[in-house]
Amino acid sequence: MSFSEQLKKDFTTFTWVLIAVAIALNIVVGQLVSLLKLPIFLDSIGTILVAVLAGPWAGGLAGLLTNLIWGAITSPVAAAFAPVAMVIGIAAGFCAKYGLFRNWWLVIIAGLIITVFNAVVAVPIRLYMFGGITGSGADFVTAYMLALGKDLFGSVVVTVFTSNVVDKVVTALLVWVIVKALPQRFAARFPRLATAG
Amino acid sequence: MRASGTTLFVEGQSRLHGCHPFSKLFFIPLTGVAAYVEPGTVQAAVFLIVLNMTLAAAAGVLPTAWKITWRTLLPLALFMLPIHGFLYPGNHTPLFSRQGLTLYAEGLRFAGTILAQLAAVLSASLLFVLTTHPADLIAALTKAGWPSSIAYLLGSPLLMLPAMRDRTGVIRAAQQARGLDSGANILGRIRSLPPLVAPLVLGAFAEIEQRAIALELRGFHSSASKTSLRRVPDSTAQRLVRRLFLVATVFLILYRIMI
Repeated sequence: MSFSEQLKKDFTTFTWVLIAVAIALNIVVGQLVSLLKLPIFLDSIGTILVAVLAGPWAGGLAGLLTNLIWGAITSPVAAAFAPVAMVIGIAAGFCAKYGLFRNWWLVIIAGLIITVFNAVVAVPIRLYMFGGITGSGADFVTAYMLALGKDLFGSVVVTVFTSNVVDKVVTALLVWVIVKALPQRFAARFPRLATAG
Repeated sequence: MRASGTTLFVEGQSRLHGCHPFSKLFFIPLTGVAAYVEPGTVQAAVFLIVLNMTLAAAAGVLPTAWKITWRTLLPLALFMLPIHGFLYPGNHTPLFSRQGLTLYAEGLRFAGTILAQLAAVLSASLLFVLTTHPADLIAALTKAGWPSSIAYLLGSPLLMLPAMRDRTGVIRAAQQARGLDSGANILGRIRSLPPLVAPLVLGAFAEIEQRAIALELRGFHSSASKTSLRRVPDSTAQRLVRRLFLVATVFLILYRIMI
């Protein structure tokens, strides 16, 4: 199947509404979880859900727009990380395409892969735009690595990886649980699920 | 669309409010390139901050812009100045030393530069966000030939948010009534995630079909051009300025690469 045919098949009106709902979910779940005071954010749960259900391009679009809209709601700083959210969606979509959302340990591997791609894009933004510090608890890791004598780049890589790995694995597992719980009638709308789920 | 309350937009009648959304949008990358790439100095960043804050004052959004800038940059500064001051790898000129802790000039200079650059980009983005009604941006995008689906994705999450926030409260209350303990230890709190998140997601998904049918009925996929109730004023002068912003952005990047 050609690329444009695949896109046409992925982006039905149903998918567009799914992406809109997922963007709202990212924002609301992110706020809900911050109340629980956990070291995770879950603010990419909608993005990864869309990626599993409707493919990498829909997932990437959901991630990108989530952070842009977030920039208009809370603070424009969120918009600076929009490319990161987009890559999370694309990476999750490809993980699902190659069958990594089939059982729990494959899902953990998918979470790790997503963390790696997340770091590839997040590290340069954090390093060059923010000088390695973003004003959150994760900065203590950066400070610790710097104190150990690592250079700024190495410290930021370690920080981004450690502060995201639990979040992305837990998010991927939650998405897997939710996709399994989807009603048949709903799941049947997404041909991609036949290979992913 | 009710935007105030959900987004940061501040109602107003100023010239900046009346500017075309794209004009304000194109100013952000230009500020970013000027602050970070070429000239990329503290002086350039400070000049841009003063310029943007003056524009914000003229548009009557200075109090909000000022508040958000501080709310964003203060935590950053609190982490950045000590971490880089003490630990920046390029440190070698000690400024001040007590009990084995030494504050260095290079780290402080690096942190100060980054903070000024961030403040410049932040103030330019705030000019856009605070003075542009989301509906104006969406109308402008549609008029410029962007697909209606992108316009839908930018607009509808803003409208869904309040209802979804309400539902979050209901779900939390319902699960707590069933014995969910959101004050438990960390493992207990992780375990409380699925019963909170799954109903929210499944409930939101249940509406998708109805929304999709409603959109189809209103010609969502029709390629015929639609008339918008909102008119976004534009002018030849503004179109020229936008093109200038774009050319200047590209020029500064090329200038840096070539020289």
